[in-house]
Amino acid sequence: MNIDINNLTKHVVGTKDFIKVNPDLCNNCGLCFKICVASLWGKKDGKVAIADDYKSRCLECGSCGEVCVPGAIQFSYPEGGKGVIYEHG
Amino acid sequence: MKEYDIVIVGGGPGGSMAAKVAAEKGLKTIFFERGRKPGEKNSSGCGLGPRMWRKWPEMMESLTPEKCPSMREGKYARNYLVGKDGEVSCMILAHPTSSVTYEPAKSWITMNCYRSEFDLWISELATNAGAELKCSTLITDLIKENGKTTGVIDEKGEKYMAPIVIGADGAISMVAKKSGLRDKWYHDHVTLVPTYDFYAPREKIDLIIHDETLAVWWMAGGIPSAFQVFFGDGFHVGLGNWMHSWEKNPLDYLNYVVNLKHFQRLIKMLDAKPRELQAHLLPWMPYPEKTYTDGVILIGDAAGFPCPLEAEGIFPAMESAEIAVEVAADAIAEGDCSQAKLKEYERRWQEDSSIGTEFDAGPELWRVWKALPFNPSNMDWFIPMVSEAIGGIFDWSEPHRIRLRQIVGAIKKYLPQAMPTLMNEFVPLLTNVLGDEMDKRLDPQLLMTAIPKLLNLMPDKRKRRNRK
Repeated sequence: MNIDINNLTKHVVGTKDFIKVNPDLCNNCGLCFKICVASLWGKKDGKVAIADDYKSRCLECGSCGEVCVPGAIQFSYPEGGKGVIYEHG
Repeated sequence: MKEYDIVIVGGGPGGSMAAKVAAEKGLKTIFFERGRKPGEKNSSGCGLGPRMWRKWPEMMESLTPEKCPSMREGKYARNYLVGKDGEVSCMILAHPTSSVTYEPAKSWITMNCYRSEFDLWISELATNAGAELKCSTLITDLIKENGKTTGVIDEKGEKYMAPIVIGADGAISMVAKKSGLRDKWYHDHVTLVPTYDFYAPREKIDLIIHDETLAVWWMAGGIPSAFQVFFGDGFHVGLGNWMHSWEKNPLDYLNYVVNLKHFQRLIKMLDAKPRELQAHLLPWMPYPEKTYTDGVILIGDAAGFPCPLEAEGIFPAMESAEIAVEVAADAIAEGDCSQAKLKEYERRWQEDSSIGTEFDAGPELWRVWKALPFNPSNMDWFIPMVSEAIGGIFDWSEPHRIRLRQIVGAIKKYLPQAMPTLMNEFVPLLTNVLGDEMDKRLDPQLLMTAIPKLLNLMPDKRKRRNRK
């Protein structure tokens, strides 16, 4: 059974960025790539970067900010009333 | 700028309980929820234990299927033991045992329901009691005067002043961060839990699952053990592990469990379909760190209170909410919300609550879980050893005498791996739990007096039957 996760999340997409990345602090440990349930992390010009459309896919668990030891990733929450919606949480 | 007696950040079970208790005490109370309504954010299904009804009987009676259609009461826990090859090697169905002393708990173990309904229900109790709820509002910072927290500020710059701020804002707690109580979790103090919600027709669950509403898939082969919880018209399946323990994407492990042959058969029987994917952080630590500072109290997940053995979070969130508001009310009345005064909160949860009782054995409980369900090398002997002990006898290809010898031999083979774990992880827990009593039972004098009796029980060497 291959579960397509894109059909399993709902979002009210906001405008503000709530995940901020400072690639200069990144030590390429790869933990954010590995741990993101929504697989939002990749590389752009050889540097760590989050998917352009992350606001419509992020599950807001906050793991990326927690695992980032050098502090390259700052996670906060989307603005009030926006972001992921769990109807059966 | 608005002024309150108490400001609560977070509209989950802890925040709402705090708001309810505060409003009932006549305190001017506001609580904030970043979702459009309580229960639609970072939360994942709950199994409410009998102690909820034991502690708050009147309140819990108002939780009815009309308010909460997803409610499903369970009496049994299924335990699937899954070998390295992905086969279920043994299944144990367990219900409350005869040693349970609290009478109602003899007939059920959990009441499962969706947080999207439960959180809404409890928030309404708070607003009915007179607390003000502000949804769709993200609190972004604390307001401080002379280093002491005196209020909060929202994303639009609106200020809400109060002598006490309660941080009920979950694992990623802004209040903990901005008050300096915690920046980030240690990687082995917080778990990541991806969860699928599956839809299944209510009547199918009634028929096939009935009151076997909880399941644990105990996994060998390097997969964290998974939980399965049944609700009115669906179920959750999820698994967790500490942040540093994932070797590949968490969803890969969960997909492995969902694709077990046995799991797929269950999906077919139930006509189940994936409906939602969730992911959240769940603090799971040996002992909470500091939970208060000047003008600030942390409760629930924000304080690291989920139970150190299996991370139940709602009950400790609500229990800590009650204590926090009682301490806050005293502090407000005396006009002293300094941390010296609020230290009383820590004393109360440590000495007068089930949270303190759990954490008295916190490091030992935490280590047992860490050593077993989350430790691949241990699960690889644990699963086959238990399967031998329980399922070994179901074999009719050999005389039972030979079969028993094979089973004992197989169990013996695992003992060199099992003994260090049992000695290093389980004995410390027993020592903690039994305390002086343990010493008494292991008293050498007592053991010596028991030995002759044991020797009497040994059979004489068996004489071979004379066969001519």
